[in-house]
Amino acid sequence: MGADPNVDLSSLAAPVSCPVDKFPLLPAFLKVRGLVKQHIDSFDYFINHGIKKIMKANDRIVCRHDPAMYLRYTNIYVARPSRITDTINEPLTPHGCRLSDSTYAADILVDVEYTIGHGTAKTPKKGEHKHGPPTLQMRRKVIIGRMPIMLRSSHCVLTGKDETELAKLGECPLDPGGYFVVKGTERVILIQEQLSKNRIIIDTDSKGRVTASVTSSTHETKSKTVFFMEKEKIYLQLNQFAKPIPILVVMKAMGMESDQEVVQMLGRDPRYGSLLLPSIEECASERIYTQQQALSYLEGKLTSFSSSRDGGRREGMAGTILLDVFLANVPVINGNFRPKCIYASVMLRRMMDAILNTDTFDDKDYVGNKRLELSGQLISLLFEDLFKSMNSCAADLLNKAYENTSHHSHFHLFQPSFILKQDMITNGLEKAISTGNWDLKRFKMHRKGVSQVVSRLSFIAALGHMTRISPQFEKTRKVSGPRALQPSQWGMLCPCDTPEGEACGLTKNLALMTHVTTDDEEGPLISLCYSLGVEDLALLSGEELHAPNSFLVILNGLILGKHRQPRRFAGALRKLRRLGKIGEFVSVFVNDKQRCVYVASDGGRVCRPLVIADKGVSRIKEHHIQELRAGVRNFDDFLHEGLIEYLDVNEENNALIALYEGDIDKDDADNEKDANKSNITHIEIEPFTILGVCAGLIPFPHHNQSPRNTYQCAMGKQAMGNIGYNQLCRADTLLYLLVYPQCPLLTTKTIELVGFDKLGAGQNATVAVMSYSGYDIEDAIVMNKSSLDRGFGRCIAMKKYSCVNEIYSNGARDKIVRPDTDPSSRKSTMQILDNDGIAAPGEIVRNHDVLVNKYAPKNTGDRHPSGTPIDYRPANATYKGPEGETTVIDRVLLSSDPNGKLCIKFIVRHTRRPELGDKFSSRHGQKGVCGTIVQQEDFPFTERGICPDLIMNPHGYPSRMTVGKMIELLGSKAGVSCGRFHYGSAFGEPSGHADKVEDISATLVKHGFSYSGKDFLYSGITGYPLQAYIFMGPIYYQKLKHMVLDKMHARAKGPRVTLTRQPTEGRSRDGGLRLGEMERDCLIAYGTSMILFERLMLSSDPYQVQVCRKCGLLGYYNYKLKTAFCSMCKNGDNISTMKLPYACKLLFQELQSMNVVPRLKLTVA
Amino acid sequence: MDPQPEPTSYICGDCGAENTLKPGDVIQCRECGYRILYKKRTRRVVQYEAR
Repeated sequence: MGADPNVDLSSLAAPVSCPVDKFPLLPAFLKVRGLVKQHIDSFDYFINHGIKKIMKANDRIVCRHDPAMYLRYTNIYVARPSRITDTINEPLTPHGCRLSDSTYAADILVDVEYTIGHGTAKTPKKGEHKHGPPTLQMRRKVIIGRMPIMLRSSHCVLTGKDETELAKLGECPLDPGGYFVVKGTERVILIQEQLSKNRIIIDTDSKGRVTASVTSSTHETKSKTVFFMEKEKIYLQLNQFAKPIPILVVMKAMGMESDQEVVQMLGRDPRYGSLLLPSIEECASERIYTQQQALSYLEGKLTSFSSSRDGGRREGMAGTILLDVFLANVPVINGNFRPKCIYASVMLRRMMDAILNTDTFDDKDYVGNKRLELSGQLISLLFEDLFKSMNSCAADLLNKAYENTSHHSHFHLFQPSFILKQDMITNGLEKAISTGNWDLKRFKMHRKGVSQVVSRLSFIAALGHMTRISPQFEKTRKVSGPRALQPSQWGMLCPCDTPEGEACGLTKNLALMTHVTTDDEEGPLISLCYSLGVEDLALLSGEELHAPNSFLVILNGLILGKHRQPRRFAGALRKLRRLGKIGEFVSVFVNDKQRCVYVASDGGRVCRPLVIADKGVSRIKEHHIQELRAGVRNFDDFLHEGLIEYLDVNEENNALIALYEGDIDKDDADNEKDANKSNITHIEIEPFTILGVCAGLIPFPHHNQSPRNTYQCAMGKQAMGNIGYNQLCRADTLLYLLVYPQCPLLTTKTIELVGFDKLGAGQNATVAVMSYSGYDIEDAIVMNKSSLDRGFGRCIAMKKYSCVNEIYSNGARDKIVRPDTDPSSRKSTMQILDNDGIAAPGEIVRNHDVLVNKYAPKNTGDRHPSGTPIDYRPANATYKGPEGETTVIDRVLLSSDPNGKLCIKFIVRHTRRPELGDKFSSRHGQKGVCGTIVQQEDFPFTERGICPDLIMNPHGYPSRMTVGKMIELLGSKAGVSCGRFHYGSAFGEPSGHADKVEDISATLVKHGFSYSGKDFLYSGITGYPLQAYIFMGPIYYQKLKHMVLDKMHARAKGPRVTLTRQPTEGRSRDGGLRLGEMERDCLIAYGTSMILFERLMLSSDPYQVQVCRKCGLLGYYNYKLKTAFCSMCKNGDNISTMKLPYACKLLFQELQSMNVVPRLKLTVA
Repeated sequence: MDPQPEPTSYICGDCGAENTLKPGDVIQCRECGYRILYKKRTRRVVQYEAR
């Protein structure tokens, strides 16, 4: 290569002076992957591949009586979402489904081939086919059920549509999708966290024993195999065996009769041998030397359950259990148990390693040992179960029909439409998703709350819901381990976003760039590994297995063999991955401690993209980014060209990841650092991507105390704002909207990426940090009345009232009647009704107003005699709302529900302005209620005439340490004065995604403010200047959904519970306010007996009783004779009248009903 | 039976066409077949309170 004279070579050799700004990669990433790509990918994989695998595994329905008669599925596929109405196949739209309470689902179609019997005899003897073999018939596109379709998945109508097309379909372009619409409600299937399957986990159990466990999961079986050490001896624990089995017995039962071979397989080190010695001795003392002896020993230990299943036949059971249940993930081909023996010995060796060196225990909380189960996998389980049920049901139908029909009518027996019952799959899927109960007996799975209604409180709430991960443990566990922040969750799971309280640390959220893998084909990988020099396991002797200079190669928990140059092997695999020859999500991890190379291609691993660096120099150069900006390159190109790759948590252990490219250059002088630099293999794309969607909204989160960010993550989901562009067309049961939502003055890059700037949930309020009026203590806020008049914090609550025009079993139906035509004689509650008996939009509604003037037939049970008029009773749909408030009917929808009944939905709108007690919060976990509303005239003001919108007490700062909020104020103030949005992305100062305080101060000074953000204020009350300068500027404030109007409640008297005659409970039932145990204790301590008496009896459930002084039982008062009477003593001589709580009388009677006699002893007070 | 109330007109949620419905009619737009209809705004004079 000839050197070009024009090129200055020294400049090429010089280190990169300014690092490449890799930020443009992020929008590109999100454009390709989307925010909820993990859900969509998983569902797509199921719909396009998984469903076919399930079909292939159960593709044959065979007639029991005649095996030649069968039905076989040849193909299965899912159509586009549509619905058949009046024989027309009309496409469904998600929004239409939301409005009409239907399910957004598509038909599942199968191609089948089946046989038509040629009149074979009714009970055919073996091989008897009188009229030749049955002929084959093909049928295509047979519907077997309906599959709910995930929004924005490959089969959804929304995919690939642009903004205008989406708008036409009534969909918001910013809506992430990734959820289902089932019966009109939107439901997400939460990501489920689980321990990885088919991996050896070394741990100590509750008794402190060292255990090695494998949870095997294959398509056929699921089992858990545990090895544990007790009293220095190692045992196997398996559900099918009643007692722990000595490990050597298991090995012998699998054909490893020689103790020497077992010890050899563990390795040469005498320490292993000596650890195994007690187990060998135990086995010998049981006099088990041969495979046969071992098997018969195992048969003796079977649980009664597993042996009774096969009719008490125990012979051969032990063998089948070893074959199918014991380490079920290791395949046994042609009865060759050797792979299982080797797997067991590797487990033993790992166990002994752990005993000899406690460092090698596995951490169950380590993210690399976890798998995330996504909607695709969960639905696939559900579908597999339903598909199998449908098939067995079809087989039953077939057999029955075969038995019952004469041989001439066999022709129609196998009509697929006859035996394949559609509603089984349709209803099963719909029911599971709409209730969230995954009850699969076949897989011993009983989970509740798998799916949840998408929370549509705000845009961010919905988005945050899609990234939520529900925990594997029950919340009651008191251990702190699973709740603690794991270092390995860096960049994968958000460190801030977790709820407070019982689920703290267990419920997690994905970070911004996280991707969850789906299953990848294993076959090609295995052959690739062998051709890259992996020595096959079958060719290895026990001695060679753990030979000192070789590493075991393990693919998805399956031992493939060993390799003598593990690093070279890993390097080669990675090179192939970067070339795109193998899947981009295949991970290669060299574990030096365990002397293993782990190759993983299974689904559910979390991974994230990183920039590849060669010796600390990023592969991405300026021209790449320029091409990206120009639009000639996208994220996938970066991936295919080997500039970026996905690393999972395990592989991150083999990488040295630099935060910034520039960092590497700074410390050039240091030799040690230089060595470090050359080891750097990857560079982060942007550090703020370690945070999730919710935490990404916080400006300057790295300046806040960490729990404050966590609080904000929880509160951001309660903030009112815009839900989506289609918010006014939706018909949610309850929708809170902010009237004038703004985009925050101080934004972050995440805000722009997720679209929060387009669908904000708050307003920029000018805040003065000062004390005012005393109504601002304990985080209360003083609000400016004029600001409220101008629309600050004003919100709309939209509530849905629906009314169904019922059709009863006897054919009678409700009727909607026109109200009284003469407006003057009309009832006051019927004023808003239209001529059709339904209230019209635009009308003002008050409490108890009638929305639909409906009448229901009195007779709904049996058939109505014809000719006679049907009796009706009024069954009005009335509006129930806060008394004294007026609301407006926004829309009235008429539709027919899935059962063909007329359904009327009223969307009632209520505009609310902030009032005393409404809750507000900034973006820094600083919530407060409105303490008082003050006239603007009394508010402080600056020389420029700026008057704050709200006043916040300075005492909120010192203990909370939310420095980020102060910087937000400064930044926003600079922003409004210079007319540029300022940024506050997490850790953004070095890369220029967050403005520095120094620069902000300079801007402030330039525009005539103090560098500190403090202003000179005059008192609005006196007009004199305030003694101190006041820290004042805009802060983005959110209005939270907790509003006084929905909560305030008081009652003097009201309804009572019929059973106890005590006041009802709860605001919704107009309940009383309870004087509880602790309040009672206070009154007792204080000695106010009369108050106690009044509260607990007079104001609650006083009751007059007649007590017999003699027998102490309750009598009654005979109103006819005007005397009291004791039914026990049969006289009325010794009766006293007294007052008692009704609940007390009830207790006496309940006791009596249980044969316990409570007697009252009366004394004169 | 009550005298038949005069049919009220409704607006289609898709094409915006006006549809007159009698009690017992199928809820469907006559123009485009869309199955969600909206009621028209009240013709009465309403006065809202602007607070």
